[in-house]
Amino acid sequence: MSAELGNGFDRWLAGAEGSSRPRLDWLETQRAQARERVRDQGIPSNKQEAWRYTSLTRLLEQEFVPAAARVPEVGPEVIQRLSIPGLDANRVVLVNGRFAADLSDLRDLPAGVRIGGLRQILESDPDALRERLNGVAGDAQPLFTALNTAGVDDGLVLLLPRGVHLPRPIEVVHLAVATDSPRVAQPRHVVALEEGAQATLIERYLSAGDSLYCTNSVLELSLGRDSVLKHQRIQTESPSAFHIAGVFLSQGSGSRYEGINLGLGGSWARTELRVLFAGEQAECDLKGLYLAGDRQLMDFHLDVEHRVPRCTSRENFKGILYGKGRAIFDGRVLVSRDAQKTDAAMSNKNLILSEGAEVDTKPQLEINADDVKCSHGTTVGQIEPEMLFYLRSRGISAPLARRMLCLGFAGEILDALTPETLREQVAEQVGRRLEQSPLT
Amino acid sequence: MLSVKGLRANVGEKEILKGLDLEVGRGEIHAIMGPNGSGKSTFAHVLSGRDGYQVTGGSVDFEGRDLLAMAPEERAHAGIFLAFQYPVELPGVNNTYFLKAALNAIRKARGEPELDAVSFLRLMKERLKVLHLDDSLLKRPVNFGFSGGEKKRNEIFQMALLEPRLSILDETDSGLDIDALRIVADGVNTLRSPERSMIVVTHYQRLLDYIEPDFVHVLAMGRIVRSGGKELALELEEKGYGWIAGEEAA
Repeated sequence: MSAELGNGFDRWLAGAEGSSRPRLDWLETQRAQARERVRDQGIPSNKQEAWRYTSLTRLLEQEFVPAAARVPEVGPEVIQRLSIPGLDANRVVLVNGRFAADLSDLRDLPAGVRIGGLRQILESDPDALRERLNGVAGDAQPLFTALNTAGVDDGLVLLLPRGVHLPRPIEVVHLAVATDSPRVAQPRHVVALEEGAQATLIERYLSAGDSLYCTNSVLELSLGRDSVLKHQRIQTESPSAFHIAGVFLSQGSGSRYEGINLGLGGSWARTELRVLFAGEQAECDLKGLYLAGDRQLMDFHLDVEHRVPRCTSRENFKGILYGKGRAIFDGRVLVSRDAQKTDAAMSNKNLILSEGAEVDTKPQLEINADDVKCSHGTTVGQIEPEMLFYLRSRGISAPLARRMLCLGFAGEILDALTPETLREQVAEQVGRRLEQSPLT
Repeated sequence: MLSVKGLRANVGEKEILKGLDLEVGRGEIHAIMGPNGSGKSTFAHVLSGRDGYQVTGGSVDFEGRDLLAMAPEERAHAGIFLAFQYPVELPGVNNTYFLKAALNAIRKARGEPELDAVSFLRLMKERLKVLHLDDSLLKRPVNFGFSGGEKKRNEIFQMALLEPRLSILDETDSGLDIDALRIVADGVNTLRSPERSMIVVTHYQRLLDYIEPDFVHVLAMGRIVRSGGKELALELEEKGYGWIAGEEAA
């Protein structure tokens, strides 16, 4: 039995010990190292830059146990009810972090595509994952990523061979269903596109009903030379849920990544995005929208590292806060000495609708090269009275006018969602959220 | 239709309107002219219910209702429309969506059914043509990136769509070249009817060559100091506002 972690997270890993997961030496080593790393980090305090504005108290008060190893039973009608009307996609369903083969739809995929559950592939073809698992996240993992690695068990695997273009988006449904005691799911996803491959990934985090649980997911994305990935992450967890996500992206030369992150649900949500340019002339476009309503915390951390020349990065995050909502945007772009001709721009704009809401925004540029084009900007504002008056003078009620202006503010991000049916569905969801909130 | 009596209003500590009286009957077009700072725009804003003005005295009756007690949207529902001097840009708010929300809000208030998508589109296209506006304008965010002329035409287009009973045109001519002015005026003139009234606020007589008023009023120092027919506008054009101000002082 390993020593206690000393930071309250032992319980998260407890069940993972005796479960029937595949025993692989290299994997056991990775787990053990991650466990060490969790122990070394202790409990992050607000003296640490990454945790300066985010309190873990609410999370530590919970007594989550790991999700059961077997897949909870969920009828296809539940998936049907939560589906996006008219979305033509291949679907992967994970229930409480476990790959549910019978709910997934993996028909008509091009030859050579590997897709399925992490556990399944670790059992059938572990070598396919040996270099991939922790390949992008690396060794120096932040606390929750290390926790995920220490308990790694199941998740999504998507491996695209050279030159393959997926005909349809892959929709990943992360479904949380209520269990006897509040549980934590720690899915680990590995997505790799080899040279010239192209795909669209839609990740949806959602729940069947309001229940208390925690998701601590980690996604490792590896983009080979000239590959293209559009990645849309839509977090609509239950109103009581805790959501933690680590997204690690490595981009080969000439690759293009377009990421859209929507933080809409959950009670306490933290997303850490790390981008590493491994090859030249790669492009990364990160967009984000968060809605922090009453007693909701939305925490985004971006870390973009330009280590090689001639790469482009764009970060555009927008937030709407109301009630006693709270948000944190902590964005960092690092340009190494050798990363000449870097083109980087970061923007964070916030719309605050109530006196009780609060946002801490901290965009930072660290530039160590001299021939670069970098900028950052941040705003925190309120609805412009002239805009509100203009709408009201046309007969539109004040609540609807506010909602229209909020949706207008968010439009730039929402409009990037594809296909159209997804955009419509999400815009409607955002509109509904705003409608239920007292926007004063 | 509209009866303004002894209207007084402040902006901050400063009194701008100092006892303004105006009667507008059904189907009439009233031009309000006056030098800069006379209170023309303040009057237009107070009628439409904009924040930032304190009414300190007087009354405004609109078809038997106390206009000053109504919220801006209620005034719109009752049939008041302000064509803005500086139309506001609404980034991200789609023009079609906006127009539909406005029209349906007003129809609902009038007890009329909401328009379905097809009838709405037909109506919009028909009204666009009158204002010589391109269809593509409907897909753009409201006023966002519009030229000065497009913004003004968009105001009159909204007016044509919403069919108000009393339109207040606040310096609609400012910043328009002669062609745009003619188009805007044509749009306004097609809306003239025995049922609809208008208050045309302008600094220059020029607009009144195209929109012929029934009455002309001169606003100076926060009050109507002179009223007359359309010939008064010509007299003003000839003699300048100094003439009125001088008479006032005397």
